[in-house]
Amino acid sequence: MALFLQRLVDGLSSGSVYALIALGLVIIYRGTGHLNFAQGEMALFAAYVVYQMGEWGLPIGIALVIGLATGFVIGAVAEVGLVRPISKKSPFAVFIVTIGLFQLLNWLSGAIWGDQVLPNSGVGSKQQQYPSLFPDQPDDFVKVFGAAIRYQSLGVLLLTLVITGLLFLLFNKTKFGLAMRAVASNAESAKLVGIRVNTVLMVSWGLAAAIGALGGVVFAGINNSVSLGLMFTVFIYGSAAATLGGFDSPGGAVIAGLAIGVIENMAAGYIGFIGQEMKLAVAFIVILVVLMVKPSGLFGTAKVERV
Amino acid sequence: MKSLVTIKEGSIGHWVLRLLAAAIVVAIMLWIPTKGSNGLVTSATEALTLMSAAMALNLILGYTGQISIGHSAFYGTGAYVTGILVSKYEWSPWLTFPVAFLFAFVVGVLVSFPASRIKGVYLALVTLALALVFPNLLRWPKLESLTGGGPGIPNGDSALDTTGFNIGRRDGQMRNFEIFGWDPFGDLRGQGAIPFYYWIAAGIAVIVYLVIRGVVKSRAGRSLIAVRDNETAAAVMGVNLVATKAFAFGISAGLCALPGSVTAIRLGAVSPDIATLTILGSLTFLIIMVIGGAGSLWGPIIGAALYVFVTDRTGGWADDEAIPGVLRPFFGWSKIPPGSGIFAVILIVLMFVAPRGLVGVWKQYSPRVVRVVPRPAGVAHDAKPALVADTTTNSTPEGESE
Repeated sequence: MALFLQRLVDGLSSGSVYALIALGLVIIYRGTGHLNFAQGEMALFAAYVVYQMGEWGLPIGIALVIGLATGFVIGAVAEVGLVRPISKKSPFAVFIVTIGLFQLLNWLSGAIWGDQVLPNSGVGSKQQQYPSLFPDQPDDFVKVFGAAIRYQSLGVLLLTLVITGLLFLLFNKTKFGLAMRAVASNAESAKLVGIRVNTVLMVSWGLAAAIGALGGVVFAGINNSVSLGLMFTVFIYGSAAATLGGFDSPGGAVIAGLAIGVIENMAAGYIGFIGQEMKLAVAFIVILVVLMVKPSGLFGTAKVERV
Repeated sequence: MKSLVTIKEGSIGHWVLRLLAAAIVVAIMLWIPTKGSNGLVTSATEALTLMSAAMALNLILGYTGQISIGHSAFYGTGAYVTGILVSKYEWSPWLTFPVAFLFAFVVGVLVSFPASRIKGVYLALVTLALALVFPNLLRWPKLESLTGGGPGIPNGDSALDTTGFNIGRRDGQMRNFEIFGWDPFGDLRGQGAIPFYYWIAAGIAVIVYLVIRGVVKSRAGRSLIAVRDNETAAAVMGVNLVATKAFAFGISAGLCALPGSVTAIRLGAVSPDIATLTILGSLTFLIIMVIGGAGSLWGPIIGAALYVFVTDRTGGWADDEAIPGVLRPFFGWSKIPPGSGIFAVILIVLMFVAPRGLVGVWKQYSPRVVRVVPRPAGVAHDAKPALVADTTTNSTPEGESE
């Protein structure tokens, strides 16, 4: 029971990160219909920025705000400067540009902060560990039925739920959210009724990148370090969550993200055959099966294809 | 657009041009191993290996329009098939090439079945996941008896890594690499293995090129291009989508395994940590293909040469002193070599200014100097007057993807 609970909480906490990445993917997909392959690396860059703020001695709150702002700017600039002009050419060109952005951001992170795992006293890090949003000392946990539930895990889960709630309010209760939904539904008509589609798309990408950035910071916090390969697998889990939940359903993305986190942890823990090495196969199989059986995902709307 | 010289396709002038191009390529390929420095030969081997993989990717992405970022898995399949067969079952490395091809062919066909239902960037997502799962599969304890787990299959005797095949070699004993008792590289081995590996890589690159050229210029190739340009229209015209994609994926995966085998032979060891076996390999193949020109036979060749040239030159640039003075202000701040950043920028810029890559630029501007007028479509090679539209004797409109 204790072990089960432990794995459940661990699963939910990594699932929260997947949910945040998936949320970013979904917001972009709803806005411009693109799959942003650079989502993970945008988050990586922001995670490095937060590390740097920590190095400069800023409290985590301010560091986080700067990190998220960086994410927002990267996303918005990427949309305005690259994706919008190139999307007039072909979907393949957009794909290549997001791959180029992936490579560029990964390289930029390495160019600025080096390819070591940080924080690392060997390269002169002042911090002992990555700036954590939540108390993360060895004794920061509460015992429930014998399972050590870390404050960090609870905090991460809570944070994800709060973000989801805020997004729900943004989408459904504000004028800007209405505009976003209008653009998602039909950009042409939205333009006709006077919605500034370009602004909406720019903010959508910024918002998505900022939410992804939060995921990156949180994941680096769980991981206690940040390194260049940090977001590769997280991106795949996030995409698996977005696929399972449906690429146009933010709520679905969160539920699916948490579910995948739990499934993955349980499968690795209880099915000896899978083990820690093949955890990622869970994400792979989820993506494959969902795309083949129900491409719209569990909560998405089916796309009608006109020939 | 005026051009200086206009020649007809198939005329003597055209053949002179073609022979000239072929002669230049052959001369370069002979010059490198005989006159070039060891460093140059190693770089050329690297380029030939990457080129073969990018050509294989080109068949599925450039010609069939199916996005794959999972080719590092096929590449790795080839490397591991060779590594396992040579080290565990004492096969001659030569014989592992066809096995690697067939094994990866089957894997590729298996991947194609979901791919025939999944389109565009979603396929990219699936293949990306494949590329990320593959190294974990190699580390999987259940397969450890075969793949060697995390460390992979080490170089059996690292003291002897300068000659011939030495995957899992023991006690300095040379692996047999004869073809039915004939050792074509007997002399080269005496001069060290660097040109030897070069020739293997060159042989594989030529084979991959010829196979892809053969496929692309055949009926099968035309159905691939039809699938790329408009899937629905292709299906209406009688192209069997599932079979065509299975064929394209199978050939592409099989061909991609061959340079993988070359890598295993060259390194004398295989492990999940080799960069080309991870997602980075897939990205490298993609970058080479797109920069050179997707959907052109020469694209991956040009792309690979450029890629290896730039990464070689900038490889030491993490150290500021190694950067030429003029460029130091631009790259001096970078803590890692700027190669991947440079190519990321080239990739993005190229998508805006020349989406068909360097070969596309060449095709756009070369007619200003020499224009090759293609044979009119629908006229047979012996140019008999086509009074009745006779579809069975139609010749391929050649010269368009040259």
